[in-house]
Amino acid sequence: MKGHLLLQDAIRSLFRRAATHRYPAERTATPERLRGKLTYNPEGCTGCCLCTKECPANAIEIITVDKANKQFVMRYHADRCIYCGQCVKNCRFGCLEMPNETWELASLTKTPFTVNYGEDADVERVLAGLVTPEPESTP
Amino acid sequence: MNTVPERFVVPIGPQHPALKEPGHFEFTVDGEQVTAASVRLGYAHRGIEKATEGRNWVQNLYLLERICGICSHIHATAYCLGVEKLAGVTAPPRAQAIRVVVAELERIHSHLLWLGVAAHEAGFDTLFMYSWRDRETVMDILEALTGNRVNYSANLLGGVKFDMTPELQDMILKGLEFLEQRTHDYVAVVTTDATLLQRTRGVGVTSREQVEELGLIGPTARASGALRDLRVESPYAAYADFPIVPVTATEGDLEARFVVRLKELFESYRLIRLILEKLPEGELQARMPRKIKPAETISRVEAPRGELFYFIKSNGTDQPERIKVRTPTLCNLASVCILAVGSQLADVPMILAGVDPCFSCNDRAVSIHSTKLGEKQWTWAQLRQYGIDYYRR
Amino acid sequence: MDTIRDLVTLFFFPGGLFVLALGMSYEWVDRKLMARVQNRVGPRWFQPFADIAKLLTKEEVIPLDGNGLLFLGLPIVALAGALTSALYVPVAGWHPAYSFQGDLIVALYLLSLLTLCTGLAGANTSDHFSLVGATRTLTQLFSYEAPFLLAMLGPAVMAHTWQINEIIADADGRWMLFLQPIGFIVALIGLLGKLEMSPFNAPEAETEIVAGALTEYSGRGLALFRLGRHVELVIGLTMVAAFYMGGVNGLPMFVLKTLILLLGLVGIQSLVARLRIDQTVGLWWRWGSLLVLAQWLVLVVWEGVQA
Repeated sequence: MKGHLLLQDAIRSLFRRAATHRYPAERTATPERLRGKLTYNPEGCTGCCLCTKECPANAIEIITVDKANKQFVMRYHADRCIYCGQCVKNCRFGCLEMPNETWELASLTKTPFTVNYGEDADVERVLAGLVTPEPESTP
Repeated sequence: MNTVPERFVVPIGPQHPALKEPGHFEFTVDGEQVTAASVRLGYAHRGIEKATEGRNWVQNLYLLERICGICSHIHATAYCLGVEKLAGVTAPPRAQAIRVVVAELERIHSHLLWLGVAAHEAGFDTLFMYSWRDRETVMDILEALTGNRVNYSANLLGGVKFDMTPELQDMILKGLEFLEQRTHDYVAVVTTDATLLQRTRGVGVTSREQVEELGLIGPTARASGALRDLRVESPYAAYADFPIVPVTATEGDLEARFVVRLKELFESYRLIRLILEKLPEGELQARMPRKIKPAETISRVEAPRGELFYFIKSNGTDQPERIKVRTPTLCNLASVCILAVGSQLADVPMILAGVDPCFSCNDRAVSIHSTKLGEKQWTWAQLRQYGIDYYRR
Repeated sequence: MDTIRDLVTLFFFPGGLFVLALGMSYEWVDRKLMARVQNRVGPRWFQPFADIAKLLTKEEVIPLDGNGLLFLGLPIVALAGALTSALYVPVAGWHPAYSFQGDLIVALYLLSLLTLCTGLAGANTSDHFSLVGATRTLTQLFSYEAPFLLAMLGPAVMAHTWQINEIIADADGRWMLFLQPIGFIVALIGLLGKLEMSPFNAPEAETEIVAGALTEYSGRGLALFRLGRHVELVIGLTMVAAFYMGGVNGLPMFVLKTLILLLGLVGIQSLVARLRIDQTVGLWWRWGSLLVLAQWLVLVVWEGVQA
């Protein structure tokens, strides 16, 4: 009978902290490589759309405000995103990043899941409907 | 109870506490004895094979990774290896080695998960809790290595996304040390604990002949003495450079399946340590073409549950013509119906858990036998219309 | 005055509400200890109360293919049986509320009423899980009942009485568990069987037959059955502690001794896998009954020598 192995474990467990955490109150460190909400830096973006082409979830739209001046707005759908990081890998200009900071994305409404990234003025123009986004490809 | 039914059928599934995934089993019982068994699948059919035809090669990588929640990396690896073969590209050795490291970590997590599930089916909840607690170690390692706990997205076509760093190596080695010691304890428990042995020893015995007849694969077959391990038979990725020693047992009962799966963990620990020690230097990714000329190939890898089979056909565009997936559970599931007959009803969940079933990766469309419709072959539009009509009713 | 005393005894202390509250508290201790052994956090103290409150407010779905009256009545009978038996045992170290010669047998059978009702409730539907569960419940009842009863009668034989009051008075301070170790072990394990706890939880093995005999129960019926189970836990612990662990004089002694017993139960529960029903029956008839009978033989011979 080596059942005593389990008995030892059981007795040890009685006096040990529980392995489970009381999550929202008690947190562990976020791993460095964890992929959180996508961020976009409009500087350097050339509008090549490699990120949108290979996005498995069609979570990214690049809206061209002014092609000549390289002004783009990225519309990101955090609810569709599967956090695979392919877009970050694809971007040759380092505009996209998935930092490990924002990952608790639960929300009661759908609005926070659509994020417009870009220069403030460009985003305002897009939101005002002055720029017509290209027809979205069906997922 | 007004009428005594002729056949007393105990249904298990599609919603049942024994199965966390939808599958339907009907066990005809006589008292506690099972006299007949049947299985029906398809509750979680998601149409992934069809969906791959509308996505490009890169998008499919992530779609196929989501076929299985437990062995996600191995699906992606099978697909990557197949597509790389089609495109005539070979991933660099360092990438191949990292693929194997993730695959073995995944095997550790899958086997520990199975240990917990099987213990739970046997009503041994303490073992279940302990094994899942210890599984967190390997989950944390995977998370630190790839950034995700389930669908790791570690693979890229032509390589891998993440490099190994010395800090990660330290973390992995430390985790493995702890797990190895725990695994020794678990082996001792499953081979000596009297109550657990009453439920596993001599239960669901699968003979060597049955393995051949039923075409069993993976640890289920290895527990019956059949050496079926693709890592040995046709080494892929870095398994040629870092060979494994397959683990087999001869008894073929549930105890042997426990032992085989647990002893495989030691092999995984050894292999990961070896690879980390001799990790080849070099690039992480080879260049992949966007479009692949028409060709077809098969790709076979050893998933934690057994052989995983991919058939991939390209047509010169950036999308595949056809991808066919055969997951290991499909091969093993037939044995449940055979083994259940003649056993006790109480042993049935154990026998079912013994093949480590994974239903959602296993479900597929079946040809519909309908005399009303008359036609055997349907076009996509017809099938779609059928689906819409079916749910409108 | 007597009527008021009786009413208080029946509804508040030591019967009725007090036993219910005590039962739920012990259920919490059981769950908490189990969780701690398994390295989990476990429920908070009000969880059993919350569970019962929730179940009581839920709609009760009555299956069409059974006898509706029986379906509603059985949980009430089961709980009533358990609560009644509480009147004859020294709950919380208090004197048994009522006492007469032979009340030991009555209390033990009132406790079995719960299991019997569970079995009948399962047989009252055409749900296959319930039917298998009912068969197993009753099969198990027949396997552990006799050894458990014999184990509880051991101290009674030594006290030369079948009245709980007097047995306790006789056992007070005498740690019967050293005099009759086999009886103690059988009684403890029998309690596990009575309460359908692991390893004897085949009748409600969730991975096989969902919730066993009570699969069709929701809402009030389930709440009453569970309350009955909680009360049975307390009474079982009380009786074993009183008979075998030197009596339960006073509340602190009662709490201490029953909790030690409960810890033992949790230990057994957590370290074993579930037995199949045939293995359960085999265990009881092959080992439990024989061991208890052997001890009885020794007891009878010893009593004879003394006399």
